[in-house]
Formats: sequence, C-alpha cells, structure tokens
Amino acid sequence: MMQNGMIPEEWVVSYAAGSLSEAHALVVASHIDYHPELQEKLADAEAIGGLLLENTETSSVSDDMFNDILGRLDEEIASFPQMKSKSENHLPKSLSDYLDGDLDDLKWKKMGPGLSQVRLWTGPNDERLWLLRAKGGTKVPMHGHRSLEMTLVLQGGYSADGEQYKPGMIEVADEHTHNHQPIINEGEECICLVVTEAPIKIHGIVGKILQPFIGL
Amino acid sequence: MRIENFEINNPDNPHPSFRMMEAAYHLTAPNAAVNIACDLDSKGGVMKKKFSLETASHEELVVRIAERKDKNAFKALFDHFAPRLKSYLINLGLTGEKAEDVAQDVMITLWQKASQFNPEKAKVSTWIFRIARNRHIDLIRKQKYPEVNADDHMGDMVAPEKTDQPLEGAQTANLIQRAMSKLKSDQQDVIKLSFFEELSHSEIAERLELPLGTVKSRIRTAFQTLRREIGEYK
Repeated sequence: MMQNGMIPEEWVVSYAAGSLSEAHALVVASHIDYHPELQEKLADAEAIGGLLLENTETSSVSDDMFNDILGRLDEEIASFPQMKSKSENHLPKSLSDYLDGDLDDLKWKKMGPGLSQVRLWTGPNDERLWLLRAKGGTKVPMHGHRSLEMTLVLQGGYSADGEQYKPGMIEVADEHTHNHQPIINEGEECICLVVTEAPIKIHGIVGKILQPFIGL
Repeated sequence: MRIENFEINNPDNPHPSFRMMEAAYHLTAPNAAVNIACDLDSKGGVMKKKFSLETASHEELVVRIAERKDKNAFKALFDHFAPRLKSYLINLGLTGEKAEDVAQDVMITLWQKASQFNPEKAKVSTWIFRIARNRHIDLIRKQKYPEVNADDHMGDMVAPEKTDQPLEGAQTANLIQRAMSKLKSDQQDVIKLSFFEELSHSEIAERLELPLGTVKSRIRTAFQTLRREIGEYK
C-alpha cells in the first residue's frame, strides 16, 4: 500500500474532504508539502469537493442575508489561514505555520536515553500529536500498536522493519504492526512529527518501567 | 442619495473610486434616472463595456471584486453560492440559522481575500469549498485545519505535460454527476460520507459495519475513478 514512503490516496481524499482530525490533518498536510505528486492529487480531490458543492441542492436563504453580509465586510474573519511563518526554516510550510515559530523555541521534555518530545495537541479518542527528537543511533523501545500511528520524518532518518525512512517520508503503523523497533540512523539527530491514537504497547521490562514516564 | 455613507465610511478606502461609487449606486438606487458613473462616448451614449455581469464566469467575478470591489459581482457570486453553502453546511449537521451564519463568514472571506485568488490555478468552487471546510472545522469542531496551499507552488513543480490541462478546468456541475454515476453505489457512499459528513475512515467503517481496510480501498478506488472521469471532460 505504501509507495516510497508516500501516504495512500485515501488519506489525501479525507484531508481534502475535511474528515481528518487536527493532528492527522497536520501530519498529512506537512507530508503533502514535500511531494508535488501528492499536491496534484490534493488539487484534484479538492476540485471534487468544489464540484460536489457546486452540485449541491440549494437551500433558500433569508431575504436580509446579503445586506447582513454588506454590513460585515470589514469584520475580521479569523479562520482563513494566515501567512504567519516568520523565520526561514526547513520545516514544511503547514507545520511551520502551525508552530508559528522554530523547533528550538518549543519546550522539549526528556523522555528517555537520547529521546525528547513536545506534545503539540491532544484530541478526542486519546489522539496525541507529538514532535519527537532522537539522537543518532538511538534504539526506540520495541513496541506494538493498538491503533493507528503516523510518523513523518522531518530531519535525519531511521530504519524500521527493513525500510529506510528519510525526510518527507511517512510511516503508517497500525494494529498489525506488532514488533516495531525503529533504529535512528547514526550520526544525525532525527526529528519526527508523530500522531498516536491510543497508548502504544512497549515490550520488555525496561520499556514497561519507562512507559509511565514517557507518556507515549 | 446614500452613496456617501456607503463608501466614505469605509476606513480602508477613504477615497472611493468612481467605479466603487458605481457599484454602490447600483445597489442603493438601481432605478434612479441619474447616471453618475457610466462611461460616456462622444454622443453621450453609454459605451459598451467588456465586462458583463450576465456572461462573466465565476472566476472573472472574483477578479472583478479583487480589482474594483464590485458589489454587483459579489452579489452575483452570493446568489449562486450562498444557497449551496447553506445546504453543504446543513448536511454537515448545522441548523439552518447556524448554516447561514457560517455561509456569511465564507462570503465575507471571499470578499476580503479576492486578491489572493488565482484563476489560473483553481476554480472558484474549489476555493470556496476550501474556505467553507476550514471555517466549519474552525468554528464548529474547534480545531485547526492546517492548509497545504498547493495552488501556490503547483505551477513550478508539476511536470510540463500535465500543467496545460488541470482538472480544475472542468466547468459544470453535471461533470461531477457524470463522474459520480460511474462509481458503484458503495463507492459513492464512502465519497459522500467523507465530503458531506466529514467522517473519518474508522467512523465510516463503523457506520457501514465494514472492515477498515475495505473502507480505505473503496475510497482509493473511487478517487481513482473520479480523477479519470473528470479528466476526460476537462
């Protein structure tokens, strides 16, 4: 299903439709930022959304709606994405806008040997959005998944289950991924954007002792 | 006449242009005999204008708003899109009243951001869909929806042979009807649940009592068919 570390199309469609949570939307949007091929697919998926809107049955609107709008034309509507990234960084634009700053401005917390994290967002269903930072050569404790986990590499790289993950590549692990032990490439710090849906299962005694502390 | 109040109060534009007064004039006194703003030829007749509200495409109307703050162009877009936006938002679970509030926000955003719209990169319907989607998520779900802004860099990054016929050149609503009719009904269902109810893969799986993998592959196959079908008519 996974091609060259690119996310399967159903995620692009669901992003376009507005069906993703904040955390999944950020990971998917940041991932799409890296790949022109996915941007093309997204443009098509959003065009489908536009055509479906165009084809929606009409509901009659109240007589004074247009006049109400004319009275509000100068009002600030907050939701439109603001171009807020100030600093030049190597982050994908979606993430950079979301963080509104640099990685070093964030409050990183140590979570184990060679590992630190920032939790960016917690949503319904135990959904959590993280940035993880790992020193080169770190072995992340062996673990399994009870539900979906997405990992987007931002810097450095790691290998897991015989695959090499580099910046821009995404790894999707689910309940079928049992013994997952990513090993960070030697020599370079690895930074990843991760979304988890439920606490992961860490195997081995060290992992079990660590889990309450690292909060994964 | 109400023209003075209309534009002079606008803090962004202390010196209303003749064109803007024209727009204001049509809105406030469409039947008055005084002709304050039309271009006149040497014999005093009204010159034929290149732009016509009746024949302009939606894309041209947005450009007109960006360039001239033309409220008649805005009204034409409102008449077309507001009733559709209201339906789209009601589909997402809003009451009629709330749907109108959000649709108002969407139309105001269109007015304010008209100059950011690039007619060569996207259709107005696509742009409005994105604004409505994001506004709904922001206001109702209280979440942020990070935006890719793919339109901004598409031109440079897409292979040349693919740039000349973007899918968004597709014109009409029956285009999507024809495309949707090519889908099996179970494929139509997953597309509708995604776009009209904003359900996630696992929510769709639950609703339809299907394995998650089946939902994903259905969305994928449906999307591939839609892309292909819409591509044929561009």
